[in-house]
Amino acid sequence: MSTELVKVTINAKDFQVPKGARLIDVCRENQFDIPSFCYYADLALQASCRMCLVRIEKMPKLQTSCTIICTDGMVVTTQSEEIEKARRSMLEFLLANHPLDCPVCDRGGECELQELTFDWGNLEERFIEQKNARAEKYLSPMVANDPQRCILCKRCTRVCDEWMGEDAIEAGNRGANTVIGTYGGWLNCSQCGNCIEVCPTGTLLDGTYRHQARPWELTQTISTCTYCSDGCQMSLGSRGDELMRIVARDRYVNGLNGEFLCIKGRFGHPFVNHEERIRTPLIRYQKGGRLVPATWDEAIRFTAQKLDGIVAARGNNSLAVVGSPRLTNEALYCLRKFAAEVVETENYAVADAFSLKPFFESLGGPLATHQDIRHAKTIVLIGGEPEELQPLTAKQIRQAVRNGGAKLILINSVPIRLREQAAQFIHIRPGTENAAALALAGNADDALAARKMGVEAAELEILRQTISETQGDVVLMFGGELSAEAQAVVAQMPYTFAGEGRRILLHPLALFNNSVGALDLDVNGKSVSDLLDAAGVSIHAMYMAGSLLPEHMPKCGLSKLDFLVVQELFETETTAFADVVFPAASFAEIDGTFTNNDGFVQRVRKSIEPVHQSKPDWLIVSELAKELGVDFGFERSASAVFREIAERIPAYADLRYPLLKDESHPLQVKHAIASKRELAKEIAGIRRAVAELSDDGVKVSETPQVGHELFKLGTLTDKVPQFHLLAAGNPTPASFAISPLYQITIDEGIKREKAVA
Amino acid sequence: MSQQPINIQRLSQPVQMPDEIATFSPKVEAEIDRHLAKYPVMRSAILPLMFIVQRERGYLDPPGVSYLAKRLNLRITDIWEVATFYSMLHLKPIGKYHIQVCKTLSCKLLGSDKITQLCVKKLGIKVGEMTADGRFSLSEVECLGSCGTAPMFQINFDYHENLTAEKVDQILESLA
Ligand code: FES
Ligand code: FES
Repeated sequence: MSTELVKVTINAKDFQVPKGARLIDVCRENQFDIPSFCYYADLALQASCRMCLVRIEKMPKLQTSCTIICTDGMVVTTQSEEIEKARRSMLEFLLANHPLDCPVCDRGGECELQELTFDWGNLEERFIEQKNARAEKYLSPMVANDPQRCILCKRCTRVCDEWMGEDAIEAGNRGANTVIGTYGGWLNCSQCGNCIEVCPTGTLLDGTYRHQARPWELTQTISTCTYCSDGCQMSLGSRGDELMRIVARDRYVNGLNGEFLCIKGRFGHPFVNHEERIRTPLIRYQKGGRLVPATWDEAIRFTAQKLDGIVAARGNNSLAVVGSPRLTNEALYCLRKFAAEVVETENYAVADAFSLKPFFESLGGPLATHQDIRHAKTIVLIGGEPEELQPLTAKQIRQAVRNGGAKLILINSVPIRLREQAAQFIHIRPGTENAAALALAGNADDALAARKMGVEAAELEILRQTISETQGDVVLMFGGELSAEAQAVVAQMPYTFAGEGRRILLHPLALFNNSVGALDLDVNGKSVSDLLDAAGVSIHAMYMAGSLLPEHMPKCGLSKLDFLVVQELFETETTAFADVVFPAASFAEIDGTFTNNDGFVQRVRKSIEPVHQSKPDWLIVSELAKELGVDFGFERSASAVFREIAERIPAYADLRYPLLKDESHPLQVKHAIASKRELAKEIAGIRRAVAELSDDGVKVSETPQVGHELFKLGTLTDKVPQFHLLAAGNPTPASFAISPLYQITIDEGIKREKAVA
Repeated sequence: MSQQPINIQRLSQPVQMPDEIATFSPKVEAEIDRHLAKYPVMRSAILPLMFIVQRERGYLDPPGVSYLAKRLNLRITDIWEVATFYSMLHLKPIGKYHIQVCKTLSCKLLGSDKITQLCVKKLGIKVGEMTADGRFSLSEVECLGSCGTAPMFQINFDYHENLTAEKVDQILESLA
């Protein structure tokens, strides 16, 4: 949008608005209420509901303000008898076939149709004809559908296409018989549920929350998602001590994700109130014995004694402290403080899948926010698969390409689904991602890189050229495939490609909700696998918050420890080795912060009281510290922990809970920007490693299946029955009228292998 | 507002694809190629291709739909959307003789309801159904542009005009 202003007159008041502004937005920003159903910001226009009608001078008939771009001298009336009459008639038509069953509709109480009917509806229904009744049904384990309630605003089909790139639902039939549906009636999409979210009526409903609560019974708490590093803002709806549902409806929450959530964020929450949650502290008094319930006092005392004994006998460094990238900043900070100040061990690590430490050390420019990605002109994605691992990032990329005309350059060994949006797809051999960093750094190694990647050298030339010709933002993203050296090279790209009118932004595709925070708070950044290797050799006790990742499990060495303490929600493969298990509170039960891959520090808020006897991770650590003679002085306040983080960690300086209150204006961590430096050493290292790769690796030509990561059963998603159906390939049930949960039994045989949540 | 690359390649399907995919004789394939060549944007060829697939396979059966999605580089839901829009395209098996009774004004005034009722009685099926032996399907359609000779119906591509009860009997008998 240009900075040029034009004059529009709305209801006899003059306004200066940017050229190209949309009339409906301008009216709303200036407090002139315009009702609408089909208009949805940043989606293709539909103009089917005709609720947004206004009178514009010199134009025949009433005009839909959602399709009008303001022009100079436009004179608009938004309120008049004529307009009111038109809107009332439109609403009457919309209700002509809509069942008036709000009392039994899940959407009742937060339904846009219901609300606008209060404003614009007539008291009396004049249509006496039979309504076009259609049966309620399920479209998938997650999506319930009542076709008769549809007003055909097609928001759902548009988000499915434009946000998700899936086109899973479309409008079928025509005229009065039009319905939203799909071929064969059963959805095998990624089950994001965004169609449910944007539906202004009760047509598409959350199939997992059906008839379980009414919206007005729920307490809405704004919080941050506990799954991936995108850090979507969401509203947790709780009733009493139970978390009932998670939504991102803009009436409750307005975060960086808008109303977008992925399947995990939206449907992955039933683990919170799951019956298998660990209820009390557990102690294994004897190796090989059982974990038996104990009181908190006893468990803390027992643990403190044991740790004291081991440290006294074997030295401080015989104890290792291991955190998880799923924990809050507060918990990770307390763990680190515990390691540094209570036992004074050097062995502290975070069990992440890969470390972004080399990247942040060489960081040569700002991190791209999701807003930046949406408005970028060029996006380069090396490795990774955001559709499955960072769904919001994938959505922003799709919209940048589709609605913003951005160029996407994909460098991947697999034709991932984003290839559909890619202007250039550099299809490389598996394991040669690092060569892409070489190619970015300059053309000196093009011959080698191209040979190893199995691509033409010209493709690499085009890549560099596209970046250096871009006017606007370039976002460089990369997944976990890059080596430390390659990360450093990419981190320095803002210097390499600096130019007039161009910003180079970086966006690491971290895996977990607080991978970035965990890194910010970690001082020495040891790798967890090194600590595990030392188990039984130099390390004899471990204190772990959260479990190890499956990839760490095979040779984890936990059995060689004299003493293992684990804080967890559920009994896992890790707790099987534990001598003491503390029940930890989940993200829905605690206050804290997560730092996402934009570098935004976002609040996690307590929606329900900790279940059973669980406690927040950071509080458990402080209590143990107290027993060992060090009082952290945080009392019971997470904000006190955060204040100390802000005081001690430079990147978090000046941040405070009150400043993080508004989820629509998240604050970015001030990561130190490294100055431009010589990369010869790194490049030589990458060159050596790349040269050793084989020349004839086979390229993968199959696009991975939708959900191959999203539907995997991890410790948390394992607790959601619907995920089991999806993991088993989402079989089509015999009847769509009943939830497939009651029709299909998943036995162990068809469960896909368990993996990371 | 939005720009999408033309002839985008579809990499995944949001619904279960039928396992089987239809195949056609070289002659039909050539005909399909001829149609595809006519359009700069491939998806524009959807209607002629659907027509050919339906002609060859009786209706747009799952393997046929699969074929269309593959050939036109479309999502299967796009095929569904178009196929359900047109009353002359069928996603369900259709009888050898498809009786389409006009129900629009002229025909209605001159007794199309009676004609429909006659067919219903005679064939033992409701509107929108197919006889068990797969010979007849019955539907009601909008104006077929033959108002001057109302009431009328169309069987497959043939018009039968100025219908009376006897005439309907006769026609159905001759086809049974
Ligand atoms: S909002 Fe303008 S027509 Fe629906
Ligand atoms: S009304 Fe029947 S043909 Fe026109």
